[in-house]
Amino acid sequence: MKSFRDSSGVIMVGKRPLRWYGRLAVQILIYFILIIIGFVYLEPIFEIIAKTFMSADDIIDPSTTWIPKKLSLDNLKIAADVLDIWPTLLATVLFSGAMAAAQTFVSALTGFALSRYKFKGKSIWMVMLVLTFIVPVPVLMIPRLMMFVTAQEATGIQMIGTVLPQGIMALLGQGVYSAVLILIFYTSFNMIPKVLDEAARIDGASMFKVFWFVVVRISASTILVVFLFSFVWNWNETYITGTFLRGHLPLLPGKLALFNSEFDSVVSAQGTAFRLNEAYKMAATLLSISPLLLMYAFVQRKFIEGIENTGITGE
Amino acid sequence: MARKNKAESEPKSLYRRRENIRGYVFMLPWIIGFVVFSLIPFIATIVLSFMNVSSTVEGYSITPAGFSNYYTAFFRNTEFVPALLSFLGMVIPYTFVIIVVSFIIAYLLNKIQLGRGLMRTIYFLPVIIMSGPVMSQILERADESVEAAQGMSGYEGVFILEMIRSYSPAVANFMEGVFDELTMILWFTGIPIVLFISALQRINHTLYEAAKIDQANEWQTLWKITIPMVKPTALVATIFTIAQLGTYDTSAIYNLIKTATGNTQSGFGFAATYSWIYCLVVLIVIGCSFLIFREREPRRRK
Repeated sequence: MKSFRDSSGVIMVGKRPLRWYGRLAVQILIYFILIIIGFVYLEPIFEIIAKTFMSADDIIDPSTTWIPKKLSLDNLKIAADVLDIWPTLLATVLFSGAMAAAQTFVSALTGFALSRYKFKGKSIWMVMLVLTFIVPVPVLMIPRLMMFVTAQEATGIQMIGTVLPQGIMALLGQGVYSAVLILIFYTSFNMIPKVLDEAARIDGASMFKVFWFVVVRISASTILVVFLFSFVWNWNETYITGTFLRGHLPLLPGKLALFNSEFDSVVSAQGTAFRLNEAYKMAATLLSISPLLLMYAFVQRKFIEGIENTGITGE
Repeated sequence: MARKNKAESEPKSLYRRRENIRGYVFMLPWIIGFVVFSLIPFIATIVLSFMNVSSTVEGYSITPAGFSNYYTAFFRNTEFVPALLSFLGMVIPYTFVIIVVSFIIAYLLNKIQLGRGLMRTIYFLPVIIMSGPVMSQILERADESVEAAQGMSGYEGVFILEMIRSYSPAVANFMEGVFDELTMILWFTGIPIVLFISALQRINHTLYEAAKIDQANEWQTLWKITIPMVKPTALVATIFTIAQLGTYDTSAIYNLIKTATGNTQSGFGFAATYSWIYCLVVLIVIGCSFLIFREREPRRRK
């Protein structure tokens, strides 16, 4: 653990250290600013939650902004119906999980190679790695799409509209923000002393054994962090998914994007005269972010430490 | 083991070759992926931007088109140039605001003891839930509520803003834009804040003590020690922010590329041109930020 010491120890104004009440005032001011900014961060989420549990009357009533007069689960039910929540949720979790597993595995391999071996052209590959992060994805998508369409026609295997293209790209280290994941592993592996590998090699371990039994075993927390990041990023990614999957697999963010039109079709099929109002949209948004919020509630500390201790910081 | 003994007794070149082979064995999947899915597509996009691509029954037919795609993009298509300009108009002020705000928040977070974990949890939260559809739902909601409440603009008659407007309407418009989408801008600060916090904690404590002995006050230490020390991190945070904004779903140019990609009949060549110009613009912006942080003091902050 890092020590959370105040970076300057005592807050100084002018030439003398402040007295206790001066320091207290400064601290209160800092808290005040931080809480205000924090509220701006959370305001949309608060509003989403508030609107979700409001009944139709409360939405129309201008005197209710935050706290519903009567708690109602109708919005949630209708939104869940429209999103087809259980199959969608299952598909999204499985999809993101599989992508994250593939990305984590290949990132660990690449990070290990970069951290442990001095090979020719290593610095060039490092530069290329960073460049893959900087270059915007749309510039790569058209040839990728053409490639997969051509491959599909050549082999006869259905590719567009399946998870295959993204799976292949994730397995070859070209998934969502793969470069960041690799850099996380790279720095984390750099912190493991090399004597450990050397000891294992003297005892006759092969390089794969060193990778698997020495380095990977120590890095459980890094692996978790990378997996979670990859999971979240794959979950929230819509552009690549939209291009390759084209809605053939029901995923939550994609469904949310289509919510307005789907809502109309479901509601008209039921024959009920619901008016599309904000509350339904908010309920749908809440449903699509709540799995992530739930996960974050359990592992937030790991997340933040993961980013903090990693190579994104620049060395 | 025999292999081991050999490696130690043989001259260094053999050891090096071994390191080479081993490194490449582990790198192989990534290298294949990089070449096939990043390097070739990148070059292909540049080539395709000079071509007409149409999809036919037996695959793609590609014919050279010279500069006609570029000509169309800049002079015939009425959407592209405005979309590009609005992207630039978004990315430059947003990045500036995001970096400054996240540095301030990180600096303040570093000064408190109690509840800093909770605060960081809150500030990092958007990173977890931020996706295109969620953002557009939230923005839509914000638009509706502002329009419902105040008619055209929410900042009509704010005294300070009017005062600034009388001097320079451009600055006032910029500030209005920033305040309009403050939440959205703040939601991009999650990772920069964490980066800045870890940079602040890595600054050697003795520097501050030395400054204090030399009678430097808090303000002077901020400018002479803290900011120069976090400058490299600011560069990383800037690149991260631009990359994030560049792949941000609701920007106009992004949608233009998306629809052009979706239009399989004639669109691929145009889509390649669009995305290549777009990529060039993003790279130029990143290059500029690189120069700003590398060469001299970040002048804009002063």
